[in-house]
Amino acid sequence: MGRLKSRQAGKKFLAVTGLFAMGVMLLLPIFVALPALAGGGGPAAGGPPADVIASQEAEGVEGEEVKVEIGRDVYYKTEGPVVGASAPKTADTEEFYPRYNFESRVLLWVANQQHLYYGSFVLAVPIFCMCIEFAGLVSKDKAMAKKYDQLAYDFVKISLTAYSLTAILGGILIFTFLTLYPAFFGYLSSIFRPVMHIYALMFVAESGTLYIYYYGWDKMKDGLLKWLHCSMSVVLNVIGTVLMFLANSWIGFMMSPAGVDEQGRFLGNIWHVLHTALWNPLNVHRILGNMAFGGGVVAAYAAYRFLSAKNDEERAHYDWMGYIAMSLGVAFLIPLPFAGYWLMREVYAYRQQMGITLMGGLLAWLFIIQATMIGILFLTTNYYLWQALGRMTGGERFQRYIKYFVFILVVGLLVFITPHTIVMTPAELKAMGGQQHPVLGNYGVMSAKNGGINAIIMTTIASFIWYQRGNRVPAVKWAKFGNIFLITFFVVAHLNNIWVACYGYFIPANVRIGLSVPQVAGTLSCLFFGSALNLAMLSKSRELGPIRWGQIAPRSQYALIMLATAFTWMMGLMGYIRSSVRLFWHVNEIMRDNSPWAYTHTIGFGANVISFNVLFFWITILFVFWLGALGAKKAPVPATQPVPGAAPQPATGH
Amino acid sequence: MTWLKLVEGYMPMQMISELAGSILVFALVNWALNRAGMGIPKFWAGIGVWIYIQLYLKYRIYPPIPFSVRAIYGTVSGCGIFMWVSGSEGEWQEFKRPILNVMDGISGFHKGLRTAALIVIPLALGGFAYNSFLPSFEEPIELRTVHPAPPATTKVHGKTFVLQVVENPYRVNNDGKYDQAYTDARIVEQSMGRLMKDVNDPNYNPWDPNAEGYTKYVREGGEIFFQNCHFCHGDNLNGRGLWAYAFNPIPANFTDAGTIAQLQETFVFWRVSKGGIGLPGEGFPWASVMPPWEQHLTVDEIWKVVMFEYWHTGYYPRTWD
Repeated sequence: MGRLKSRQAGKKFLAVTGLFAMGVMLLLPIFVALPALAGGGGPAAGGPPADVIASQEAEGVEGEEVKVEIGRDVYYKTEGPVVGASAPKTADTEEFYPRYNFESRVLLWVANQQHLYYGSFVLAVPIFCMCIEFAGLVSKDKAMAKKYDQLAYDFVKISLTAYSLTAILGGILIFTFLTLYPAFFGYLSSIFRPVMHIYALMFVAESGTLYIYYYGWDKMKDGLLKWLHCSMSVVLNVIGTVLMFLANSWIGFMMSPAGVDEQGRFLGNIWHVLHTALWNPLNVHRILGNMAFGGGVVAAYAAYRFLSAKNDEERAHYDWMGYIAMSLGVAFLIPLPFAGYWLMREVYAYRQQMGITLMGGLLAWLFIIQATMIGILFLTTNYYLWQALGRMTGGERFQRYIKYFVFILVVGLLVFITPHTIVMTPAELKAMGGQQHPVLGNYGVMSAKNGGINAIIMTTIASFIWYQRGNRVPAVKWAKFGNIFLITFFVVAHLNNIWVACYGYFIPANVRIGLSVPQVAGTLSCLFFGSALNLAMLSKSRELGPIRWGQIAPRSQYALIMLATAFTWMMGLMGYIRSSVRLFWHVNEIMRDNSPWAYTHTIGFGANVISFNVLFFWITILFVFWLGALGAKKAPVPATQPVPGAAPQPATGH
Repeated sequence: MTWLKLVEGYMPMQMISELAGSILVFALVNWALNRAGMGIPKFWAGIGVWIYIQLYLKYRIYPPIPFSVRAIYGTVSGCGIFMWVSGSEGEWQEFKRPILNVMDGISGFHKGLRTAALIVIPLALGGFAYNSFLPSFEEPIELRTVHPAPPATTKVHGKTFVLQVVENPYRVNNDGKYDQAYTDARIVEQSMGRLMKDVNDPNYNPWDPNAEGYTKYVREGGEIFFQNCHFCHGDNLNGRGLWAYAFNPIPANFTDAGTIAQLQETFVFWRVSKGGIGLPGEGFPWASVMPPWEQHLTVDEIWKVVMFEYWHTGYYPRTWD
């Protein structure tokens, strides 16, 4: 017995040492690259090639003092030595813009978007895995712990195939850049040279960690090793997040360049290049967006498996999986509009021109489409939750109030999507007496729209609270008082929201923008305080009946698929809007786009390309789902009566 | 509906309140009928509410709402009604029943309806297709953007202005220093029907002979406005000037919350200086005939007239600090 124990301890020690060594090796590229970062990326980022420097040195007179030119940072206004070449002045020729007999921009658009879809997915799913595996780890209920663990494994299994596709699409993207936009890509890579290498090395680290994480699942399933396994998901997510931040810095630089002078010459400070005006808002917005998107895609996967399930056991499992994925996705969807608001605020503050082009000018109609998509996301979420109430005994108590929630959601959405710039015939314009409608015109501006979206979000939070209570009745002593308080809290938050939305018309813009803080605070209070209070009330509760997993209307699963499709479409749309706002610039006000495609597409064309991207992504992700389901197809038909809610067992272990 | 007016200043909330009130009335009537055992079937209740909303939007709201917006509202309200009637399994079954009854042809009446539907629906679709192919003599829809994006800088009378940072030199306090808060406190009040706070005080009344500083500059801006701008933009700055209806679209209505109230003062300065002809190429056509006022006014005059427009409408220019 003692020998067995010491052998097990020895194995554990070896496993831990091996894992530590692996971690060190994976993170080595970052440590190696740090000195280069600190030094501004080594010699002359963006400078001429080594052979040119050598020939210049050979021509120069020995001993002559080298004159250092000083440039002024276009954003930070600091001075620094010019160590890079100017941004190339391109012309509409094959030299700068080699082309096939097709619009290069659209090719790049598709390559970029597909890479981004898969990139977002594989960055989001490990975060879910981390949360779910942790939930399983700390769960006292052994059956639940096993279910959570199986779910986390299911998640990572889907992301593994997607990960390979992400890398392939990344390669295609780089080739597209190199072949179609060599001058622009050359300039960008000269500026970002030091961090580009880090980016590539981080990818190696990410791949290594992901494979160990996945293939080590069975080997590290107990005790300390399980904790180590879960910790590895933290490392995986840290690497993934840094990767995304680096990729974001490129688009941040293209939109709001910094660290270069007016000619686009690098001034030696790579941190300035990374930390542009829009980098942080983009980072926050993308993290939340990726999570919401990842949740949507996994929920759609679960819905697809639910609808094609052959028995109650599978149906119960995938119903539960869809619910968890949807909840995680929506948890990140709720703060997403606030992050978007911050991003737009920073865009306005950076360049009024950009802000107006986005929200009041050329791209304003795309924003209306975006608002519609946001509305669809929230309405679909509510709809799913109402359907989910149907599988709980006692859920029908709440269903009779659905119509009132529908009213608030519809009115909020109508205000939220009312266009500031109305599409109309000249005859309608004359009948209206001007470009602005005296009634609806007021819904077209930010003050009202903030009110609309906050009303929608608060209603969604209330639906979640309903759901939590579906089959339970609070049994704490103060339940009555708690209920009155909770209802009053939501009513006051709604009234505050409406009041601020109206008051916003009578105050200066800067005060109005400041007032969005109490408005958002009301909504977030509903989210955090309302949910916490509800959970506290349910800490001691009477159960009216079990949750009948799998016994949910198929409409709910179509709602999940719609949710995922809306996420995908909206991501495509917002990426297009964000990129289009640069108009005819590769790098805003630094490097001009002189290709024949430096114009803004019509809304119809843009929408068609976005739809194509969405369709392409879903066809390929269906392939990924199919691969994920291949193993499950080998599973033996269970001989015993299926137990609703139990996880289906994998065919050959993990 | 002349007996129940839409009250200026309250119209947006009035519209929502009226809709909410009428939906509440429907709910109460339905509840009472249900209690009396004569409840309206879900199918007809859903369709009835949807039709009511469309009629309300078309005939209650004046001036008429363009079709594109009504189509958006119709679609959203349709989705809302679907969510309501299919929110729970019982209600969804109830809603579907009349449709399934017709499709199954459970009685002679239902069979007749089914036959009629099989004839009418293809005919209606055919009619729709035929109509869409007919030549139309209506002017085409213009997807015009109201706010052109300004450039980062603009050159007026040989001087370059960085629009992000430049300040109106006449928006000053008694010490002659730029002071947004000081001037904001002296504009006319919207809540008072765009009236001055104190006509006897030169600090608030630009036409007081003793007006100095900001209020004096507002008066000078007003004089420029009434010499040059009011013919189109109107003496109430609402875009209903003497010549307004000669243009399509009519000139901008500054009293609307969606025009100058949404913009930085420098935007208006640029827009006035460059007029319609100086607008950027993207998003063409702008359909603006405003002259480039830099050819007729000095830089100082343009700043003053911009300041007058904000003063008179009671709006504050957008700022970021």
